[in-house]
Amino acid sequence: MRTLILFLLKFKTLFLFLGLELISFLLIVNNNQFQRNHFLSSSNRVVGTLYNLSNGVNKYFSLDEVNESLARENEALNTEVVQLREQLAFFRQDTSYKGRRYRAAEKSYDFSTAKIIYFSTVRQKNIFTINKGLSEGVKVGMGVVSEKGVIGIISNASSHFATVMPIVSTLSKTSATVKGKTQLGQLVWKGGDIRYANLEEVPLYIPVAVGDTVVTSGYSSTFPEGYPIGKVLSFSERNDNLYDIKVELSVDFDKLSYVDVIELKGSEEKEELEKKETAKFEK
Amino acid sequence: MIDVTLKRILSFVVLVLVQILLLNNVKFLGFITPYLYIYFVLSLPSSVSKEMTLFWGFLLGLTIDIFCGSLGCNALATTLIAYLKPYFQSFFGPKDDYDEVKPSTATFGFEMYLQYVAYLTIIHHLVFFFVEAFTLSRFWSVLFSAFCCTLFTLLMILSLEYFKHRRR
Repeated sequence: MRTLILFLLKFKTLFLFLGLELISFLLIVNNNQFQRNHFLSSSNRVVGTLYNLSNGVNKYFSLDEVNESLARENEALNTEVVQLREQLAFFRQDTSYKGRRYRAAEKSYDFSTAKIIYFSTVRQKNIFTINKGLSEGVKVGMGVVSEKGVIGIISNASSHFATVMPIVSTLSKTSATVKGKTQLGQLVWKGGDIRYANLEEVPLYIPVAVGDTVVTSGYSSTFPEGYPIGKVLSFSERNDNLYDIKVELSVDFDKLSYVDVIELKGSEEKEELEKKETAKFEK
Repeated sequence: MIDVTLKRILSFVVLVLVQILLLNNVKFLGFITPYLYIYFVLSLPSSVSKEMTLFWGFLLGLTIDIFCGSLGCNALATTLIAYLKPYFQSFFGPKDDYDEVKPSTATFGFEMYLQYVAYLTIIHHLVFFFVEAFTLSRFWSVLFSAFCCTLFTLLMILSLEYFKHRRR
């Protein structure tokens, strides 16, 4: 009996001790912000780890969606950039009100993003296919660009797909110019390395320097004026008073996945004209 | 009896005052603060029951906490050594059956007393520092400062003992 009482007494001390320690601990956790935060965060760590894990898995499943939404955002931003660029170029050049209205009506572009689903960069007549076609408003002759620069022209369109003839195709001829100059040249590709193309038919009397930006000319109805193509890498003078300019393209054709199709918002008259042009081109 | 209790309360108050007014402002080498107040718990005589020791310890820690703004840390550590103190005392103290043994160099002998104080001090300091840090990520630096402070506290307790005995 005595041992039992002693045992209980010993227990009493232990319980008292544990009780006091518990009070101390509660005091610590309730009154000290630092310890409190630490305690709470530690107890949430297991849940947090699990949450992170499932989030990591979910992220992979939603990558496609994220890509698409980013592409859509790009499309909207690109539209805005080009519009602003147009406005800027126009305000710099033309201060007459009449001309301003005319140009504003004429030069208005819209972008729509498409995904490249097939691309050959090995053959001489390079071609690639995008996942938008006639039903999405993609028509033959429209320009195709990325945010870095010009890519090519729609060469064929079915109801849901379209093929693009890139500027790195031996069949491609794009009217281009050195930035700041009005004289036209023609951008051609002679096969080989898809990082470079040639700008031809630029007369010798125009001063050209290495590093100059090559842009689309304003006379084309396919691309917005002044859209970047590449940079002058080197040039040589030919006998016939023309330059032979080697251009380093700003678009990396090896890494393309999303492109923007440029839709020119013009009058129907203009579309008819374009049709005639295309018909001529196909003969 | 009343005289003993009064003396105990007086020494409690004095130690708390010394701790909060003087020693807490000591920042030797930037981080070493002696915690002399545990001397009160360490020198409680064996006639004080285990429960009373616990209460004294808790009260002492809590009082220090209230003045330091570290509510609970000192209370937790001091309650722990107050719980362990009777066991350590019976282990290191004289085995003869005295009515009342007040732990000191005189009753324990210097070597035993040093061990008794050192063990309890290091336990208190380790618990206190780790509870205050509340993390194991700074393990070594916390351990280091706990040891440095232990040395300092030990030094102070031993000098206090020394002066007490010279006075007598």
